[in-house]
Amino acid sequence: MRKVLASSLFALMLIVLAACGGGDSESAEGNGSDESSESSGDNGESSSEESSWTPAGSIEVVAPAGAGGGWDTTARMTAQTLTEEGIIEQDMGVVNKPGAGGAVGWSYIANQNDPHNIFVSSSPLLLVPLNGQSEHTYEDFTPIANVIADYGAFVTGPDAEWDTLDELFQDMKDGNASEITVVGTSAPGSMDHIQFIRFARAAGVDVSNISYVSDPDAGGVTQVMNGSADVFSTGIGDVTEQIRSGDVKPLAVTSEERLDGDTLGEIPTAKEQGIDETFVNWRGFFGPPDMTDAQVAYYENKLKEMSDSEAFADIRENYAWDEMYMDSEEYQTFLEEENQVFKDILSDLDMLEE
Amino acid sequence: MGSLEEILTGFQVAISLEGIMFVLLGVFVGTFIGMLPGLGPITAIAIMIPITYGMDPALALVMMAGVYYGAVFGGSTSSILLNAPGISGTVASSFDGYPMAQNGQAGKALAIAAISSFIGGTISVVLLMAFAPMLSSVAVSFGPPAYFALMLLGLTAIASLSEGSTLKALISAVVGFMVATIGIDPQTGTARFDFGVPRLLDGIDFLVIALGLFAISEVGYLVINRFKASFASAKELGSLKLSKQDLKDISGPAGRQSILGFILGILPGAGATIASFIGYISEKRISKNPEKFGKGYIKGLAGPETANNAATSGSFVPLLSLGIPGSGTTAVMLGAFLVLGIQPGPMLMGDHPDVFWGVIASMYIGNIFLLVLNLPLIPYIARVLTTPRPLLISLVMMFSLIGVYSISFSTFDLYLLLGFGVLGFLMRMFAFPAPPFILAFILGGMMEQSFRQAMTSSQGNLSVFFTNNISLALIILSVLSFAFPIIQSMRQKKKQA
Repeated sequence: MRKVLASSLFALMLIVLAACGGGDSESAEGNGSDESSESSGDNGESSSEESSWTPAGSIEVVAPAGAGGGWDTTARMTAQTLTEEGIIEQDMGVVNKPGAGGAVGWSYIANQNDPHNIFVSSSPLLLVPLNGQSEHTYEDFTPIANVIADYGAFVTGPDAEWDTLDELFQDMKDGNASEITVVGTSAPGSMDHIQFIRFARAAGVDVSNISYVSDPDAGGVTQVMNGSADVFSTGIGDVTEQIRSGDVKPLAVTSEERLDGDTLGEIPTAKEQGIDETFVNWRGFFGPPDMTDAQVAYYENKLKEMSDSEAFADIRENYAWDEMYMDSEEYQTFLEEENQVFKDILSDLDMLEE
Repeated sequence: MGSLEEILTGFQVAISLEGIMFVLLGVFVGTFIGMLPGLGPITAIAIMIPITYGMDPALALVMMAGVYYGAVFGGSTSSILLNAPGISGTVASSFDGYPMAQNGQAGKALAIAAISSFIGGTISVVLLMAFAPMLSSVAVSFGPPAYFALMLLGLTAIASLSEGSTLKALISAVVGFMVATIGIDPQTGTARFDFGVPRLLDGIDFLVIALGLFAISEVGYLVINRFKASFASAKELGSLKLSKQDLKDISGPAGRQSILGFILGILPGAGATIASFIGYISEKRISKNPEKFGKGYIKGLAGPETANNAATSGSFVPLLSLGIPGSGTTAVMLGAFLVLGIQPGPMLMGDHPDVFWGVIASMYIGNIFLLVLNLPLIPYIARVLTTPRPLLISLVMMFSLIGVYSISFSTFDLYLLLGFGVLGFLMRMFAFPAPPFILAFILGGMMEQSFRQAMTSSQGNLSVFFTNNISLALIILSVLSFAFPIIQSMRQKKKQA
């Protein structure tokens, strides 16, 4: 009797395991081998029927990161809206391909080269390759559409001597740059660092002796609150509550115009402080290297429809994301310009790897 | 403490019928997932986020929190029975829990783990409720120098984790340090020791190492010694009987570690794993019978089991009152809050008292459920050990492989797991202890990063470690902790002479 119970308990464990472990990968495996043959047949068809393409099987939305981060959330919310609003009828599965700041997921997409796989990315798709840490660059993929944006912010501790970004930069220009420490979540050469350098450079600060520390355990807020570091360069969403409570002091937001909202609306942009620079943390979808125009058009339309839906507007509001729709063509041009700016900044810092 | 009225609002949420149902569901899912080696609260919470969409935020978060502490509660089961840590916070529970199971006390060990977890969980919730708003200042008081000093204090324990040769323990720790440096260095962005393998750029996941060194190496050992060793002897498996002496033994560690674990949990980045190690080490340090540790000693199990559950409640302090996630799990929890339109942070208590106090109040009920749910099941769970050995070994292998695969969906990590299994096996054959390796791996990465952050901010001036009060106090403690055993052994030698 007891043995039966013990083994049935194990069986139950197995079921739970299958249910949670398989949840993510199910759809990925489901369309594995049989689908690659289908889709290659489909590719042939679409050349004769250029104007329309519909997926032959389920669609896989890849988040090139682990569960819970920005890319993962965007992928999950997009898949959820597209399915629940009935915009896409095919099954959609979100698959996490974490590793190497995204490079593992990107090489997966490039190797599969299947139009049923799309993935979400943002600035790291440009920065990681420029840092020499990915064999694929943004040029290896097909931009489909950008969907959302959020913005960066620079904050200090509540008692810091600077009240604006401009005052901070003036102080740095007066020869105090080496005494000022900037903290960010990511490593040098990646977003938080480059965001700060981008504005410092525009203000005419010598960027070669800015000291930057990375605190990957989300300790940036604590570091400026207890005075271990002077400035925290981060996304506005990560510090909104602390700004509202007065635990940190905002110096500037990186958007073109002031943001909406009681607290956010009071934060000056860098532009109005006379620093002619902006930074948008865009986030959008890309497809594999070889996509036909019809395939791009299919996803472009679906994502446009999703972006315009009320359901997605609610999601944007919950996460404090801004609407920023760009179609494939606009996106391509935008990415080329951004990539050039990053290249210039990294070569100023002597960090460019090519 | 918030106003009584607000706290009562929290209890209203927690004691409502829906509240109780969601707490029960959360802790049930959590404790089950925690039992499976490798699968932890991060996966569980991330997968449940879409389910909660549209739910009442307070209830949804009550459930999510239940998943989290439920997983920590259940995580000790496989550490004790199979030497395969269920989650990273329960590695230290296997140091004495697994030997207990081998001595025929599996049921007792599970009961001790459940009771210590319950005590740790409950005392820390009382602390959380009483001090959460005030304690947020503790969380921000630690700068890089203080973190460095804290890690240093943890490291002085290497000597006490070693059985036999201190030299071998040190070698084991050095290798742990070396493995911790693999991956992209956060301070320069340079890849270190990646051997051109992109998969190594993020470093090696803690669970890959823990499951390899403990579970897989154990499997190897059992296969080699198939007539001698066994996972556990079959007698008295299910007996939960705790004597008065046992309860007395638990009470000391449970009381101390509830508070220490809670404080360590508050510090962003420290969390349940470090708390459980420090819980183990500190109990061994103050014990009159340190030689009993590592051989199936009740206090050696009660210490870390109390500490990791207390730390879990502690980690809600920075999350709820500052909006700072101190660990991977709380970062995903933060995401769960955002989906529901709730922004954790300094304003949460005023804006949404029902959520803030509801989550905290539900933890009392959740902990009671966990105890009631787990205790009666223990005889049956312990029976797992009577499964024929070939089957059991295969199951441990399978769960370890699936657990690791579910972290990264990468076959490369499976090879790493087997590699660390072989390493663990060899270490065992040549009597190199594995705990110092694990400890150095956990502390090493954070220690290096906080040292370099401190150095950058101070322009390379080493005095920062002594001008900061917290850091100075911790360094003095480290020196004492290091010197004390040496002085003690010198005295003993004198006495003998």
